[in-house]
Parts: sequence; C-alpha cells; structure tokens
Amino acid sequence: MGSSTNELLTAEEIEIMQEIMNIAFGKSAADLAEVIDTHVVLSIPYIKCMEVTELPEYIKNDVKDYKNISIVEQGFWGKFRGDALLVFSSGSGKELITLLQQDQEVRAGHESESFDVLESETLMEVGNILIGACIGKVAELLKDVVTYTPPKVIVEKYYGDVISDAQYDPDKAAIVLRTDFRFDKGNVSGFLFLITSQESVSWLKQALTDFLEQYE
Amino acid sequence: MILSQVFDSLNIGIIILDRDLKVEKWNRWMEAQSGIEEKQIAGTSIFEAFPDLNTPKFNRSCKSVLSFGNFCFFSQKLHKYLFPFKSKGYFETNFDFMQQSCAMGPLRDENNEVKFIFIYVHDVTEVASYEKKLKEMTMKDGLTGVYNRRYLETRMKEEYERHVRYDSPLSLVMLDIDHFKNVNDTYGHQCGDYILKAVAAGVGQSIRNVDCLARYGGEEFCCLLPETGIEAATMVAERFRKVIMDQEHTYDGNVIKVTISLGVAEVVEGINSAKILQKEADALLYQAKRQGRNKVVAMNQG
Repeated sequence: MGSSTNELLTAEEIEIMQEIMNIAFGKSAADLAEVIDTHVVLSIPYIKCMEVTELPEYIKNDVKDYKNISIVEQGFWGKFRGDALLVFSSGSGKELITLLQQDQEVRAGHESESFDVLESETLMEVGNILIGACIGKVAELLKDVVTYTPPKVIVEKYYGDVISDAQYDPDKAAIVLRTDFRFDKGNVSGFLFLITSQESVSWLKQALTDFLEQYE
Repeated sequence: MILSQVFDSLNIGIIILDRDLKVEKWNRWMEAQSGIEEKQIAGTSIFEAFPDLNTPKFNRSCKSVLSFGNFCFFSQKLHKYLFPFKSKGYFETNFDFMQQSCAMGPLRDENNEVKFIFIYVHDVTEVASYEKKLKEMTMKDGLTGVYNRRYLETRMKEEYERHVRYDSPLSLVMLDIDHFKNVNDTYGHQCGDYILKAVAAGVGQSIRNVDCLARYGGEEFCCLLPETGIEAATMVAERFRKVIMDQEHTYDGNVIKVTISLGVAEVVEGINSAKILQKEADALLYQAKRQGRNKVVAMNQG
C-alpha cells in the first residue's frame, strides 16, 4: 500500500502546498492578533502523506513530551475537506481562561457550572478561531470556501489514551499538514494537524496548479 | 419571495447583521420572542436593543466571522442564552430565561467577500430542563431528597484532595437510626420510610451549604464537613443526636420516637484516603452502638 500514499502528492505539489500554508499562516497571524489580542507564532508547516492507520503513531510521536493534552477537533467542508486537530499542551486551557478573561464573562448566578465547563468552552472557542483562521486562509488562497462542523473538545487527558481511542477509516490515506504554535502571552503551545482525505486530492492537485499559474 | 417565507416560518430565530453589526434582517421568530418588529430594529446596532451582548466574546466572534469567515458557536452550557427572552410554557419554573444554543457564520457576496453575519437562535429550554432534572436524579436519594451514596463518594474524594492541597481540616459524621428494624417490623415499611424522611430532614436543617449530607444505605447517613476539625464536628454530631431525640413522629395515630448513634472522625496522620476516613467513622459508630446507642463517639483527639 506504500506506493498509493506516495502518489497522493508529488514532491513539487508538496512544496507548493507548504508555500501556500506559509503565506496563509502569515496572514492569519496578523488577523488573529486583532481578534484574540495575542500574537500567535505558527511554525513553518510540514507536510506528509501517509496511511490513516499510521496517523496515531505519528501524532503520538509529536506530542509525547506532553503528559496530558487537550484536543479540539473540527471538520471542515468545502472542496478542500477533512479534519483539523488542534492539540494543546497541558495547562493551556487554564492559561487561556486568564488570557481571555473569560471568567468575568460567565453569567452571574451560574457558579454551579464547574471550572471544567469553562475550560472546555474556552478551549473550544480559541480552537475554533485558530482552526478557522488557518483553514480559512488556505482555502482562500486556493479559491475555495469552506464551512465547519461544531468543534468537539477533549480536556486534559493522557495523550496515549486519547490518540489510541481515535477512530480512523483504515482504508484511507491522509495528507497531514502539521505546524506547531505558541502564544506570545501565557504558556500556551501545541500542534495543529490538518488531515485531508483522499477525496479532496484531485481537486487539491488542480488548485495547486492554478495557484502556481498566477505567478508564471 | 419563497425564501423569505421560509425565513419567517422557521421555528428558530435568524438575525442578519452587516459589518457594522447593524441589523439587516430579523425574522418572525425574533419578532415574536423579543416583541421588537423588524422595521423597528432594522438599521440599528444590535447593541442598542441588546446592550448585554456587547461582551468581548461576542465581539471576538463577530470579528473572526468577518476576518476569517469562521463559524462560532454559543453553547447553552456556558452562555445560557444570547438574547434574554422570557421562557414560556411549562418550563418557566426551571429557568428565568429561554435557554438558547446559538451559532454565527459568514454570508458572502459573489466575490466571496464576507458581507454579513448570520446568527441563529435555537430554543433548547426543554432539553436543558430535562438535563437539569436528570443531573439532580443522579445526585440525590429518591426517598429522602438528600444526596446519594454515589455523589457522596465523589465529594469525599474531592474534599480529601482539597485537604491534601490546602491542609484544611476535614471531618466525617456517620450516623445510623437505632433499632430501625423494630420500626419496620412494628409499624410497617411505609412508616419506616416516613421516619427516614423525617430524620434526613431533621439532620439536614442544621447543616451549612458546604456540608454534604447523604444517605449511605438503609438507615445509615453520612455528613461530610469540610473546613471542620474534630471538636466542631463532634458538636455538630451532638446537635444531630439531640434534634432526632426530640423529634416526635406521628404515623397512623401512633406516636413514634427514634434515636441515632453517631461516629465522628477527622482526617489526621495515618488517614490517607477518603475510604479510610469512612472506615474510621464507621468503626466509631459501632462503638457508639455497643455503648448503648443514642450516643456520639468521636475519634481520640491527640
């Protein structure tokens, strides 16, 4: 099966995609700073094609330094489609609450809602913004418009448990776009994985060609 | 024409805002719930009619819709509602305002530029109300209305951890109705249930909000006392004993009196889990039984 994953994208296509993500993340960083009032540093993205079954090991390898992780998962749905996984390091949720001063916003009279709910909602909001910013800009450059499913969140679990439990269709191949991020305020960091399925590959190949043509 | 009929027939609220957050569209549902007609609100800032919406989170969400074409979600769990509408119908007693699940997203023109924001408002009061009831049912004892054993065990673990972290005192009172079998055998189980309720109510009336009174099983109750050392806990237990001793229960023309026996333990050195604390209180309770009942036995101090 190894050969099929290699055929997903050529080395040149991967290079173009990397460049597009670079531009997209650069643009989204500036807008993000305005929306959440914090600068987010996104690393140069890394792209790899693999079998879906290899995915858990791959993600584990990246996050193994974190004991506990929180994950925000969101599906995106356009011609460019797949799942976004935002993995936060341990303690990020609590830092984000302080950063956004969320606690003051929760309606009075609901003290009964535990801190856990606040934490998961905060992760979800920031995750939603971050994922939307990154994907939105990539889609924009590729002349696509995407919609999103509501985010799901897993808060502060041992990374080994979370990732092993994840469900993937074993017959599918995936293009994994990975970047790490760090907030310049607070101790918040993690990884963003965009996992696009085979289905969007033929469209993606065409879009990458079209993108390049603008400059030729 | 057809679309605008759909817009007004839907059983959810739909609002469309322009880039300055002025109302562009306001559907029938919104008119009905808010009492504000579209022609009144159109063209005005949404914050004029709903100043409480002007929060950092709401503004952040609008910005992320406008700059990234994001979708944002406002769950009922955290936000309860975006628009304060009086809840109508059967659920009024549970919530002051309609519980809402809301989302917002972008509307684009032919060049894919985000021109408007849509917000939809979904009434989830009914579901939230069931959820609330179910949550209570998992925490409370059906007969007596005090907490159940499952909730007690969770709270014990949490309070024990708090004790470890902050070194604050933590005590537990365990109590059992004396000769309860006789009540059941003499007056029947329904009378027994009546007594159980009365005892739970009697003990429950004199505890603080932070204390956790739970039915542990049969005729046995536990009362967890955070921030309370053994001396104060013993006084509390003594108060319980007197309250129950003074109660007179009238059932089917019979006047019945019961007493309780109590064991009181505090987390001290050597007690290194919530379970051991409970075991300790249980042992002291049986000591009280052996010493003749209607009695408090507390852990030796120092």
